[in-house]
Amino acid sequence: MASGGRRQAAPGSGVRSPSLKAALGKYWAIFRTQLVNSLAYPIDLLGRSLLIVLFMWIFMNLWRVTYGASGAHTIAGLTLADTMWYLMMAEAVMLSKRDLSEEMTEQVKDGSVAYLLNKPFNFILYHFAAGLGHSVLAFGGNLVIGAAVVWLMVGPPPGIAGWLFAGAAVILAWLLDFCFSALIGLSAFVVEETAAFRWIYQKFLLLLGGVLIPLDFFPAWLQTFSLNLPFAWVIYGPARLFVEPSLARLGQVLLQQGFWLALIGGTVWILYRRAAARLAINGG
Amino acid sequence: MPAVSVRDLRKTFQLKQKAAGLRGSLRALWRPSFQELDAVRGISFNMDEGELLGFIGPNGAGKSTTIKILTGILHPSSGEAEVLGRVPWRQRQELAFQIGSVFGQRPQLWYHLPAVDTFYLFGKIYELDDRKLKGRIAFLAEAFEIEELLETPVRKLSLGQRMRCEVAASLLHRPRVLLLDEPSIGLDVVAKQRLRMTIQRMNDLEGVGVLLTSHDAGDIEALCRRVIIINDGEIVYRDKVSALRRRYLTVKTVDVRYNEQLPPDFALPGVEMVKVGRYGAKMRFDTRVTPVGPVIGGLAAAGSLADVTVSEPSLEEVIGAIYGQAESKDG
Repeated sequence: MASGGRRQAAPGSGVRSPSLKAALGKYWAIFRTQLVNSLAYPIDLLGRSLLIVLFMWIFMNLWRVTYGASGAHTIAGLTLADTMWYLMMAEAVMLSKRDLSEEMTEQVKDGSVAYLLNKPFNFILYHFAAGLGHSVLAFGGNLVIGAAVVWLMVGPPPGIAGWLFAGAAVILAWLLDFCFSALIGLSAFVVEETAAFRWIYQKFLLLLGGVLIPLDFFPAWLQTFSLNLPFAWVIYGPARLFVEPSLARLGQVLLQQGFWLALIGGTVWILYRRAAARLAINGG
Repeated sequence: MPAVSVRDLRKTFQLKQKAAGLRGSLRALWRPSFQELDAVRGISFNMDEGELLGFIGPNGAGKSTTIKILTGILHPSSGEAEVLGRVPWRQRQELAFQIGSVFGQRPQLWYHLPAVDTFYLFGKIYELDDRKLKGRIAFLAEAFEIEELLETPVRKLSLGQRMRCEVAASLLHRPRVLLLDEPSIGLDVVAKQRLRMTIQRMNDLEGVGVLLTSHDAGDIEALCRRVIIINDGEIVYRDKVSALRRRYLTVKTVDVRYNEQLPPDFALPGVEMVKVGRYGAKMRFDTRVTPVGPVIGGLAAAGSLADVTVSEPSLEEVIGAIYGQAESKDG
């Protein structure tokens, strides 16, 4: 038998353990291929990123009136400029998220999941690598266009630390969002249609995650409640860190993200192993 | 050791049932009821290394379910299966390095990218060495005659071109067994022939075993020496394709034309007259009942022959007859 340069599994061995380099190589290749795929339609990509201009314009009008009416320079410690930069980062993350749950659901429903399950990679990590490939580009576009617009509206952005800290938190935020999406997507292995779960998750992000309004503006009890839920650490955490890049806040955001990642990621892993055994592929 | 070995394999799906209307929907919410569907009912077969085995049956017969169990995607309800010595649903990732698969109705190439991008991605996924991957792509491009297509976005390829790229992609890692599920579906005659040629060529060159499901008996006839026919989850026929022809192609149809007029009561012993005209006739006979010699002799003796055509049913008709027999046995 010809080997074609491929690593050979020991005959009869139960689990193949590829080298870390090979394992990282395949997920990097998936990430890169998705990146190239997203560039196949640059006008579409640009069009999607322009959506942030509309959102920022609406937010600017809304919050200018609110700050004007309150007569205060700051609300809950945030100036109008802080609020706008917060919302820019929140929307940039929100609009660059890839709805993997919908994709997974469709793959289960139309049977194309078969192609992903019969390849030597992990189904969950495949989706994460592909999702990252999509999000990085979309996030970049949102950030450039959103930042340009907000700069014109309220002046310069926070310092370099804000960008760096938020950058680190955004990567974990995508991971956390991915775990939620995977949780919803995996439920398709059992219930097939997941639109309701997806709808609920989106609304939680909008209301309790800090997409529409910084959580600092909530009454104290609602703020505490929201901060004790994982949704805040997908959007609010990175966006708030962007406008107030202290080391203490960085530690808090990363710790919260790590905690929820371990909890939800672990659940995803267990569910995946169970769901794969229950799979009933359509068209079979 | 056979490349594929299946013993008493069964797969039962549970289908949710719901009566029509709002009442039915509400009742289904309160007390859901399920119907069990036996997609595969205790099938057993072997496939040798390097064999081209046809696996055919009508829609819903259980072909695709069997293939999905053999790739490790689906767990069977009971029974045993081994592919290259591995239990697919327990050693799916291990096995993935040794087998290739193409599901004709589910593209695996990235739609918006040139096929070569997916080839390089698969190279990484199958952990192929970069230099050898390049050589492998060049080899497959030549074997499948897709050199000119590799850099065109997949969405711009014709179905036939895309399918050749799909099969080539599934062979990148030199699998020992290729599972092809309806690869020729939707292809025109020329595209089908080209695809068959390339599959045959790869079998000759690399000895890759192919388990081929198809609606098209022509695929099986052109490629496979042995065929398994499955209907309603059960194997209803298994033998060499040539034996299938010999066994079921015993009914011959004869079209005959004479230079002079035929008598209206023209008949031959043991031959069923389908139609008798003034100068010609169409008739049918079974060679197991009436030997060919006396029929031809009788036709020659009946007058001055202008033309004779003896034809046999297509493999498609034969397979249809086998399904029919299986169903009438069940009924």
